[in-house]
Amino acid sequence: MNPLNNILTYCNEVAFDMNFTKAKQWKAAATDRALIGFLPIYFPREITHAVNGLAVGLLGVGDRKQIIKGDAYYQSYICHLPRGIIELALDNSLDAFDGFIFPSICDCVRNLSGMFKLAEKGKFQRYFDYPQNFDALIGGVFYGQELNKIIEDTYQVNGVKLTTENLNHSIALYNTNRKLIREIYNIRQEYPWRLSAVDTYTILRAGLVIPVEEHNPMLEEVVEIISEERGEPMDNIRVVITGSFCEQPPLGLIKSIEMAGCYIVDDDFMLGSRWIQGDIDAHTEDPLGALTHAYLTDSTFSSAMYDVGNPKGKRLVSLVRDRNADGVIFSAASFCDPALLDRPELQKTCDEAGIPHINFQYHENTGQFKVIKEQAGTFSDSIKLWA
Amino acid sequence: MKLPLYTMGIDIGSNFIKLVLMDYNPLSEGEGSGVRPGATLLDKQTEKIRKRNPTLVADEMIQVMLRKFNLGYEDIAYLASTGEGDLVKRKRGHFYGMTTHAKGAHYFFPDARTVVDMGALYVRAIKISPDARVLDYKMTGQCASGSGQFVENISRYLGLSIEEVGDISLQADHPEVSSGICAVLAETDVINMVSRGITTPNIIKGIHLSIANRIIKLMSSLKAESPIILTGGMALNKGMLQALEEQLTETGKKFIVKTHPDAGYAGAIGAALWGGFRHLKLASKEKIMV
Repeated sequence: MNPLNNILTYCNEVAFDMNFTKAKQWKAAATDRALIGFLPIYFPREITHAVNGLAVGLLGVGDRKQIIKGDAYYQSYICHLPRGIIELALDNSLDAFDGFIFPSICDCVRNLSGMFKLAEKGKFQRYFDYPQNFDALIGGVFYGQELNKIIEDTYQVNGVKLTTENLNHSIALYNTNRKLIREIYNIRQEYPWRLSAVDTYTILRAGLVIPVEEHNPMLEEVVEIISEERGEPMDNIRVVITGSFCEQPPLGLIKSIEMAGCYIVDDDFMLGSRWIQGDIDAHTEDPLGALTHAYLTDSTFSSAMYDVGNPKGKRLVSLVRDRNADGVIFSAASFCDPALLDRPELQKTCDEAGIPHINFQYHENTGQFKVIKEQAGTFSDSIKLWA
Repeated sequence: MKLPLYTMGIDIGSNFIKLVLMDYNPLSEGEGSGVRPGATLLDKQTEKIRKRNPTLVADEMIQVMLRKFNLGYEDIAYLASTGEGDLVKRKRGHFYGMTTHAKGAHYFFPDARTVVDMGALYVRAIKISPDARVLDYKMTGQCASGSGQFVENISRYLGLSIEEVGDISLQADHPEVSSGICAVLAETDVINMVSRGITTPNIIKGIHLSIANRIIKLMSSLKAESPIILTGGMALNKGMLQALEEQLTETGKKFIVKTHPDAGYAGAIGAALWGGFRHLKLASKEKIMV
């Protein structure tokens, strides 16, 4: 088997393991380790890493687990992701986790934090509030306080104190992680046939369940492999996918879009891993301040975030231009309020910029892609033949 | 300009693979439309997949055709797939089935306004513009009772080959119409008919009438315009065509329905033609010699 296939086989195995075997093995190797689960979109994993913890992304169960109890917790008009996660918790698949972080992206996730609290899952359940004000003296101070709460939560679990040196080291590791991911996306922008979007997604998703020290060499190897020519270029259109930042699309959906003649040159599937867009200062006396500064000034955009000073539509158009994309596919989970409420405004901005777009909705466990394939196929043809 | 400009179209269906080689002469291209009155169909080939690997079958078909014309891959300006195109290696691009059937039908009849693609798994009615753009479409739903695969299954139960079905249907005198909604119910109907001693031609004709009804409903809901061009595997089934004409007369619909001896290749031909069109478009963008 070639090296890339080996990486993909491994990533497939760990990324979609609903028992989180690798993460549990990591924790079992030492007594002062803490396993922290976090929900989409973004959580600064550096603060967990620096106190001997592993932050594990809980991205839903996809089509890998049948939801039975979860449906009793959420109404029919609620998205699929929280059902799967509460199902995992009630099935005791998350029992080895010490704590859970629920970023404030929507009401469903907030309610889920309450459910975890009531069910006494983990030693702490922290609703992690993002600042809505980007002034360093207001939002910045607030964000720092929120981070400190999580650091304290983790200290109560494993008794490991945060040090400046450790946090700088963790920031440096995650800087490398983000840099390598950026490199993969940049190579794919120019040569999208070298690594499919499905494979890219799988590699990135694996990074949310294994230590960054293990993920970084893997990414380095991928960068090395795709820096050389491989695969055959095809006459496909180039699209940016947006709206899939929380509940993840099934692999079949991503594959269907690619098979319909679209190169996905950018997306927001694993947005948390790419949230901070540049390097964070890793040689500072105040690494927590550096994390805060990065969040306030170097975050990407998403429907779940307030951004009056830097409109998302404008940023989406700029992304499309930067990636030399032919169009946008608005692909959101059904009942995802942030994505679906933002969509008309984003579509209007795309219209004004002359960027063609289509839209559809999915569930993480959608199994039928005929309609999506049709939409993506006709979208591709219309751009190729008549744009 | 390098002539002839060879393009290949390959249509991977669920039962059959269709391959065509065309000479796409850009000099006779209609302005901005890709209309190709002068395009020439040089060769065509169909292969039943049976239980083989479709990728290998497709590859072998391409190799055989290239050898026959003493060509290599590098001589083909654009190898385009349609249908399950991901199964084709070394293609340059892929076009969606509706786009290619529209183009294929337009190649047969430039005045085409509606295309009815009667494939193995579904029937699709497509409204097209004068330059073969898809304007709107309707297709049969999840159930397979309006499809070629269903006809093939029934013919197998009745001990017939798919090639015989059309002629046998023409022999019917008192056709028994089966369920037009559900393949399972329709198959149960057929079992009942056999046990009641209904003759094979009357059973087959009944199935054709039932499918014809579904097609007419599709055409009506699409507000189809004439002429209507039938494409896909079932388009050459004489019994199916007669049933469609009868149902059109009975329902008072005044559609002009046409088919073509190469109707089964419409998807592959459309892919080859759009491939040529796209090749020239890319070449003009990149300002390269074609």
